[in-house]
Amino acid sequence: MPAERKALRYGHSEGHTDVCFDDTGRYIVTCGSDGDVRIWEGLDDDDPKSINVGERAYSVALKNGKLVTAVSNNTVQLHTFPEGDPDGILTRFTTNANHVTFNGDGSRVAAGSSDFMVKIVEVSDSSQQKTLRGHQAPILSVAFDPKDEFLGSSSCDGSVAVWKIDDQVQVVSWNVLQKSSDVSNAKSLCRLAWQPGFGKLLAVPADKSVQLYERNSWNNVSRLSDDFIAQPVNVVAWSPCGKFLAAATIGGFIVVWDVDTKQCIERQKHEKGYTVCGLSWHPSGGQIVYTDTEGCLGLLDGVAASSPQHGSKNNEVAMGNYDDLFDEDDDGHLAEDLSENGLAANTVTGGGNEDDEDDDLMPSTGRPRNRGAFLDDDDDTSVDAGSVKYENDGRVGTPLPSVPCPAVSQPRYEGPMPTPPQKPFQPGSTPVHLMHRFLVWNSVGIVRGYNDEQDNAVDVEFHDTSVHHAMHLTNTLGHTMADMSQEAVLLACEGTDELASKIQCLHFSSWDTNKEWMVDLPKEENAKALCLGQGWAAVATSALLVRIFSIGGLQREIFSLPGPAVCMAGHGQQLLIAYHRGTGFDGEQALGVQLLQFGQKKRQVIHGEPLPLSQKSYLSWMGFSAEGTPCFVDSEGTVRMLNRSLGNTWTPVCSTRESCKGTSDHYWVVGVHENPQQLRCIPCKGSRFPPTLPRPAVAILPFKLPFCQTATEKGHMEEQYWRSLLFQNHLDFLSSSGYEIDEEARSKGQKEQQELLMKMFALSCKLERELRCMELAELMTHSVVTLAIRYATRSHRMALAQRLGELALEKATAQHEEDHEDDEEQSELPKSHQPNCQQTQKEELEDEDLGEQDDREGMDSREGTEGRKPCECLSSFGKEQHVSASNPSGLSAQPRATNVLDSMTPSSRKPLSLGISGGKQSKEPALKPLVPRPKSKTQVTLLQMNCPKIARKNLEPATEEPAQKDTISPASPPASTENLKPKTGFQLWLEENRKRILADKPDLDETDIIKEAMSLFRALSAEDRLSWTERAKGQSGGTADLKKRKRREENVEEKRNELQENSTKKTKTVDTSARLSAFAFNKT
Amino acid sequence: MDPSEVEFVAEKEMVTIIPNFSLDKIYLIGGDLGPFNPGLPVNVPVWLALNLKQRQKCRIVPPEWMDVEKLEEIREQERKEDMFTPMPSSHYMELTKLLLNHASDNIPRADEIRTLVKDIWDTRVAKLRLSADSFISQQEAHAKLDNLTLMEINTSRMFLLDSLDCMYKLRTNLLSRGGAPKGHDY
Repeated sequence: MPAERKALRYGHSEGHTDVCFDDTGRYIVTCGSDGDVRIWEGLDDDDPKSINVGERAYSVALKNGKLVTAVSNNTVQLHTFPEGDPDGILTRFTTNANHVTFNGDGSRVAAGSSDFMVKIVEVSDSSQQKTLRGHQAPILSVAFDPKDEFLGSSSCDGSVAVWKIDDQVQVVSWNVLQKSSDVSNAKSLCRLAWQPGFGKLLAVPADKSVQLYERNSWNNVSRLSDDFIAQPVNVVAWSPCGKFLAAATIGGFIVVWDVDTKQCIERQKHEKGYTVCGLSWHPSGGQIVYTDTEGCLGLLDGVAASSPQHGSKNNEVAMGNYDDLFDEDDDGHLAEDLSENGLAANTVTGGGNEDDEDDDLMPSTGRPRNRGAFLDDDDDTSVDAGSVKYENDGRVGTPLPSVPCPAVSQPRYEGPMPTPPQKPFQPGSTPVHLMHRFLVWNSVGIVRGYNDEQDNAVDVEFHDTSVHHAMHLTNTLGHTMADMSQEAVLLACEGTDELASKIQCLHFSSWDTNKEWMVDLPKEENAKALCLGQGWAAVATSALLVRIFSIGGLQREIFSLPGPAVCMAGHGQQLLIAYHRGTGFDGEQALGVQLLQFGQKKRQVIHGEPLPLSQKSYLSWMGFSAEGTPCFVDSEGTVRMLNRSLGNTWTPVCSTRESCKGTSDHYWVVGVHENPQQLRCIPCKGSRFPPTLPRPAVAILPFKLPFCQTATEKGHMEEQYWRSLLFQNHLDFLSSSGYEIDEEARSKGQKEQQELLMKMFALSCKLERELRCMELAELMTHSVVTLAIRYATRSHRMALAQRLGELALEKATAQHEEDHEDDEEQSELPKSHQPNCQQTQKEELEDEDLGEQDDREGMDSREGTEGRKPCECLSSFGKEQHVSASNPSGLSAQPRATNVLDSMTPSSRKPLSLGISGGKQSKEPALKPLVPRPKSKTQVTLLQMNCPKIARKNLEPATEEPAQKDTISPASPPASTENLKPKTGFQLWLEENRKRILADKPDLDETDIIKEAMSLFRALSAEDRLSWTERAKGQSGGTADLKKRKRREENVEEKRNELQENSTKKTKTVDTSARLSAFAFNKT
Repeated sequence: MDPSEVEFVAEKEMVTIIPNFSLDKIYLIGGDLGPFNPGLPVNVPVWLALNLKQRQKCRIVPPEWMDVEKLEEIREQERKEDMFTPMPSSHYMELTKLLLNHASDNIPRADEIRTLVKDIWDTRVAKLRLSADSFISQQEAHAKLDNLTLMEINTSRMFLLDSLDCMYKLRTNLLSRGGAPKGHDY
């Protein structure tokens, strides 16, 4: 089973690197030519701790919390670990040291330098030095014998020497290497390694193989090689058990041998083929970490588990070695016994058992079964020993794992492990431990913090210099948190033993000459997170409180949080808080979120619901879009946005991971904009956050909802549609909280959505998915449904068209009802080209002497005027006609919408009305009640000027074909229902009296008939006319159902004749107006 | 063409700036520019970038090629090859000069870049002179000007053309003098 090769990650800049594990195996420590030592908490650590140790670091060694580095200023330095504080200089050379290493117990350090010398220094007392001279060229590598007796060294002069440390004399020397003049020219780094334990063998990489020399005799006992190795071996490393030897070569091959069998058990190739120059085993084996000359860090996992066929023997030897290591008093005889038979195991377990009896504590054993045996037979040691022996005999050749050896205890499932809770952070800040960091980067500006030897300062810079000029503040208090808005900069520091935690606010935009205040938090209370809104500042503290201050420094609300705050964000009057809801397990964070609204109506919008983070991720950014919608980003790079229209759920809108080129690249989000849709972020190569210098550049990422199959046209359009809807939500929110909104943006968005729907409709039609078409149509506005009907008709999908017609009708009714309700709600209508404002409009029209109404008073203004014109030509109605015309449209308009064509009439209202009705009608008029009125008048007059032409055009064909009409119109009193206009009194009267008129004057054409009829109708008494009007109302209500049913048949027929002449010129005009209405939609 | 004219032409090249003001799209004959959002990179012509920079209204983001490593590579390439190598920008010299003179604070390692570009320029102009020399000495009729930038062509145009004219005159004189006596002979 090959070991798992984990993905490489960027560790250091190009050049020589070195790597080692700490004693526990928890940290990986690397050094590189950039002079940094990085401490990684595992390979996946995205934020390794960096310690700058010099210009270049050549080698690193770590033991007992002491970190030794060889750096380019010719010294060997000591640092504390894991803090990384300088702890003095161990020794100096005349040129740089190439390799440093600790002895077994960490009391001494050996260093080999390019000045041909090897020095051995006591860590506790650096004056105790031993110098080994004898090499004729720069030293490549040094290695301590585990027994501290000998030291191996290799040099560019081609020799590998073994020194007796106490006598400082060379014991033996082999010329096995190629000579070179300098380390940089050397073929191989020739890192030597002694076998752990007794140090029986010294491994020397010599060209393409590894030579093993035996201790004391110094004979070359064996040679490990493999066909896989094509280039010289650079580094070798023994596994902690001394059983395996890993070697890495120039060409990036990593090979692991089982030393006893000389079998190669593992072959891996560096994924990019770079030269591996650092190699280290995990202290408990199983993992090998390596670095290459390009500064990358890699890891092989599961190396020791790779050779089951050696299992039993391995255990034996490994155990023997461990026994040596851990029970040095026993001097190994125990181990020999152990490997012989189970008797030794008995003594060991027996010993363990006695311990048990003493203190009732279990030593950590590998097998629960043994533990059970202990527990059962607590009183009788001999029986216990016997039973164990018996068991052992049963398992041939598999000795019991030794009790006093916790290092080989087998991995056991520990149950779900609690995740360490995420620390509080400021959105848009880089980690606190950096010397130069961003305190905050948001859409207003940048606050940078410098904390180095010369300076402790905060730089405030605004993206828009018109907000305020840049500021430079000395940071005497040591502020670590900051937020900035258009009005103020808020800074805070945590308290120390003497000083309380302080909050400082610079409200630069105020007119007051004193533009700063500072407040101390109560003792023992520390600021953890803070944010700024419009006119207020909020601070979350360690006492689980959120304190609200006014921007001028007044203390306002204060409330408790259910858990420790993680971060906060403010925008306008909204405050968003993320906090720990509880303990997460197995890498998950359990975060809750609250959204509060201040201002006029204070309320909590989100009541501490769980924040939906990606799996095993943590919160990395939280804030508001520029338009005020809450958003957050998790460490997986998924951006989620609050969907207010779906019960405050969170929708993933972008995955920055997808845009990343490398696995360790990230995008650092600084802002979200909904209009235009932009995710502003900074690309960071090989890290999660950018450095302050060079100044990072902002990039823009597009949003993309994670829809299925977005590569297909359908998926793509669906994604676009829902994204467009989602990013329109802020408009509703803004208007509901009383802000002015950009109507243009809204209508643009709506138009885009409807266009997409229509495209999807066309696509579904093509694919013969009629049900899908219907579903799409349900999402459409009324006017677009009519377009869809046309499309369906033209593509000969009659069944679909029919269904769509029904839908259109429903939509129209629904809309009328809505409009009607609005009518009742509003005494004054906000905009006159809103469809349901006939009344007002009509009054205007009247004022302007447009006033004459025909029977189609229900039309909205444009169509109305178009329609009206021809009537004007005909003759004028009486004023009383207007009574019926001006009755609330609800009654008369509803039955009218029974025809497809007719249902188009109200269509043009939709986009117009949406502009208002969608935008909270209740609010709008209150804000600016009569503003749009004059505008509408001009519009009406404009239309009036335009429409005579249209009207005449409409009339001409009508008058050209009088004969045809004559034949149809009188013959079809039901045809009048085809018009499906709610009838006015005049119409009813005309129907009844048409024949009479025709009989009287048979030579009249259609227009003349109506003219004639009108004059006759006028001649009627007022009461008569009123009664006709009443009848008209009654009938229209009563016939609605009937007409609905009729419509179905007519509908299809009608559509076929769509472009043909209709029976009366009234329908004719309706038709044009319908076409125009489609056009009108496009215009809006 | 005057060098200043070439520089003027170069000012139409686009460069990225980060404005510190907010302005809607501006509509110009040459095309629309903007919109300008504080802190967001936007592409504008060099002339506008410099104007804004001088008024401290923006930071200029140096073009991608204006980077020490890249220029070093180009320099080495240029030195190695006998022919002219393609330049990262057809106005590299002018842009370097303009940007470094007006916005050196926005360009990291400005001095090194200046030296490198000067090196490249010198190498190329030396090549140009050499080839002009061989062009004349071998009395070639035509030469290819691949990968030469306008500014480079401009440096040698005046002199080369004038001297070619001159030489032509001299040659024709020689010829006519050589030919005329012959004619007289007959």
